[in-house]
Amino acid sequence: MVEPVIAAREVDFWYGQFQALRGVSLDIMDDEVTAMIGPSGCGKSTFLKLLNRMNDFVPGARLAGEILLRGQSIYGPEADPVDIRRRVGMVFQRPNPFPKSIYDNICYGPRLVGIRKAAELDVVAEKALRAAALWDEVKDLLGKSAMELSGGQQQRVCIARALALEPDILLMDEPTSALDPIATAKVEDWIREAGMTIVIVTHNMQQAARISDRTAFFYMGELAEYGPTMELFTSPKETRTENYITGRFG
Amino acid sequence: MTADAAKPEASRRDVEPPAAERTTQAVAEPASVAPAGQPPVERPFVALRPRLSPAEKGSRLFFLVCAVAAMGQMLLIMVFLFGEAAGLFLGQDGQPGVSLRDFFLSEDWYPTYDPPAFGALALLAGSLSVTVCSTLLAGPLGLGLAVYLACVAGPRTREWVKPAVELLAAVPSVVLGLVGMAAVAPFLQNVLNLPTGLNVLNASLILTIMATPTVASLGEDALTAVPKDIQDASYALGATRWETIWKVTVPAALGGLSTAVILGLGRSLGETLVVLMVAGGAAHIPLSVFDSVRPLTSTLAAEMGETAIGGRHYQALFALGALLFVMTLAFNLLAWRLSRRWRSGR
Ligand SMILES: Nc1ncnc2c1ncn2[C@@H]1O[C@H](COP(=O)(O)OP(=O)(O)OP(=O)(O)O)[C@@H](O)[C@H]1O
Ligand SMILES: [Mg+2]
Repeated sequence: MVEPVIAAREVDFWYGQFQALRGVSLDIMDDEVTAMIGPSGCGKSTFLKLLNRMNDFVPGARLAGEILLRGQSIYGPEADPVDIRRRVGMVFQRPNPFPKSIYDNICYGPRLVGIRKAAELDVVAEKALRAAALWDEVKDLLGKSAMELSGGQQQRVCIARALALEPDILLMDEPTSALDPIATAKVEDWIREAGMTIVIVTHNMQQAARISDRTAFFYMGELAEYGPTMELFTSPKETRTENYITGRFG
Repeated sequence: MTADAAKPEASRRDVEPPAAERTTQAVAEPASVAPAGQPPVERPFVALRPRLSPAEKGSRLFFLVCAVAAMGQMLLIMVFLFGEAAGLFLGQDGQPGVSLRDFFLSEDWYPTYDPPAFGALALLAGSLSVTVCSTLLAGPLGLGLAVYLACVAGPRTREWVKPAVELLAAVPSVVLGLVGMAAVAPFLQNVLNLPTGLNVLNASLILTIMATPTVASLGEDALTAVPKDIQDASYALGATRWETIWKVTVPAALGGLSTAVILGLGRSLGETLVVLMVAGGAAHIPLSVFDSVRPLTSTLAAEMGETAIGGRHYQALFALGALLFVMTLAFNLLAWRLSRRWRSGR
């Protein structure tokens, strides 16, 4: 069996006294799109943020269990959060470009890792923008403020910004919920064609069905069901899953 | 840019609030009656107007009065200030006016001599020297404090550092002036072996104490207003806390931070009592920070009581006041421009 990119083992997680995740175990496979669905407050974002240690900033956060990134513990004593965040990219719910030029947005990560030469940065920026399918739209506007782009373009700048570090895996937390249908379609197209490991949280069941290989259904802090998307949507094993995807609650 | 776009919108609202915001009152206008057999000239229409309750009408009037009163005060002050100042330059009672050139470029300020000299250069230099020096100190200090409070300190530390800074801002300037006279001056005099401890350095130090809280608290506001999601984006790209502060938070707050420094500068420029007490009072262009100076403000405060109303000295002091007013106005405009310019990142 192939080694998963990310392996979560019996993860419990608390915000102070409140337990947000219970016994979550799942493997995320290479080059697959994994969708996370479930009712609001069930812990999807919480789990996603555990994968790149963004919960480190929450006071009183506690974790039990283990999360492995290519076999190495993310929360082990020798793990370096900065290094992990470079290998595990993240795109947020609302487009959040820096109030800087498009070019400076893309080059933010590469500059942090010490790339200074303009020629090198140019190459990295073009590659990332091409990878985010944005190059043709913005190649003549690289000096323009990213804040002046449309919401959909901003979100793809954010994708390109994450890709510029060539992460192993990309986490996306409801990346299209602030976008209109056309911009959503563009982001979805990108996800389908990216050919990289992506974990995406979504409230849109059709979206999960359209773009993901596997789907994880979270329910009240637990991983209720996890399997190939087709199977989960056509013949769910759990009644909770069935109720949710047929719209009986949530 | 946003402010520009919002303005016409706002003024239109004064006249006609959008229907969605209020209940509208339909006022039926009778259609002009067309003579029988002919097509109607006009179709009946309904004019839509906001319905204002008496309370709304009353409060609108009240705020209008406030606005007019504020504008009126401003206008009166300007007319008064510039009117009296103009007399100095135009001359009166057969006396020739002081030329603008003498006023701005001469450093001889001998208002009570015969003939008097009204050169403002030394006083202007006095004001600028203490303002610049104190800003050079209070700017970095206040901004550092702002970054500390907004981005570094934990909630516990903030809880007592912030009130302490605010308390500092509340200390009356006369108290700080006393500290300058009684503590800082002898200290400077003894340690540096100076003829007097009442000088640019002393005034700048005390003004720094006054301006730092202004810079710090305005700067902190600017930094905390930076959206958290761009800071998250920075962390998610592997930035450390310091990298995030220097490369994302501070640049995004640059407009507000420069406004903070300029308003702190305005605070020093306009401060009167402290410079009157500790700047030494010599009307000379300072050659070093150890020289005594006589800023515009303290000149006004010290000499106004000795002048004859309507006399030339009196007019000259008004000219100094007008100069101070214009400088303060310029700095405020600059602060306003800067804060607008960087609002949405370039
Ligand atoms: N910083 C926090 N401190 C305390 N509790 C939190 C925090 N963030 C989230 N929670 C709680 O943890 C639970 C899971 O939240 P999470 O954001 O992971 O839900 P979600 O599945 O992403 O929901 P949504 O679909 O609405 O985004 C919720 O009950 C929420 O109130
Ligand atoms: Mg969420």
